[in-house]
Amino acid sequence: MHRVGSMSRRLRVSGIFVITGLLVEALCLVWSKPIAFVVLVCIGGALIGLGVLFFLYSLVSASPHTTDSYTVAPDK
Amino acid sequence: MPTIAVVILVLFTAVLAGVVVVRPAITASRAGKILAFGVFFFLPLFSLVAGMENEMGRSESTAFCLSCHIMEPYGQSLHIDDPSYLAAAHYQNHRVPADAACYTCHTDYAMFGTFEAKLGGLRHLYIYYLGKPPLPQDIKLYKPFNNRECLHCHLGARSFEQGATHNADPATLPAIKANTLSCISSGCHDTVHNVGRWGDKVKFWDGGS
Repeated sequence: MHRVGSMSRRLRVSGIFVITGLLVEALCLVWSKPIAFVVLVCIGGALIGLGVLFFLYSLVSASPHTTDSYTVAPDK
Repeated sequence: MPTIAVVILVLFTAVLAGVVVVRPAITASRAGKILAFGVFFFLPLFSLVAGMENEMGRSESTAFCLSCHIMEPYGQSLHIDDPSYLAAAHYQNHRVPADAACYTCHTDYAMFGTFEAKLGGLRHLYIYYLGKPPLPQDIKLYKPFNNRECLHCHLGARSFEQGATHNADPATLPAIKANTLSCISSGCHDTVHNVGRWGDKVKFWDGGS
């Protein structure tokens, strides 16, 4: 049975923010309209920023033994 | 950095982040922790900066400015087959880079000129999408065109410094350089885009890009 610790959940949440922001950025880069820059900064940048901040928060708020949950059992 | 390279970097970062999201257990190892730091901190921020830098560069292109519907007549004015049209003469004879024609003349060659030009662009976007955009022929500059923008290229050029009209009166050249006699609005080079006032006889040059 795979147990997902709080650190893993936080990594996933921050990862989802970062991935969504990166996808928005990729779309803006191939979308040659002036509004693309605003969307990139306001939506893509905000999502990436949120993801990064949440990742940093998860690092500083993790207890020393939180990362043990990663090694409980690998995915089958 | 070319757009395609930034897109590849962004997608590569997203894929790596996806790997960590799907398999967070890999962060148990030291290499996994380094990977997580890279894909959740360093690479996303680097991708964002690269993307913004790419967009800023793109915003200086003629195609970018003309991608707004309201700017189409101004793009057409660059192809008018009449050398008395200042914008057309500069564009067609490559006195300004053809791929950055609008930006070259309409940016501010002062310390924060590029920044102010970008702020002006954001203001255009706001008016275009959320405000009430004027008709193309009713568009006006926010402030009078400063000779500094012309002199950025023409100062020191023989055609400017020794031009017969510029030297007919000894006071003319110093007045132009001091911006007290406008190049554009003093009646000398006042035919610029003239959108809405072309008439039926205007012809268009079919060259250029």
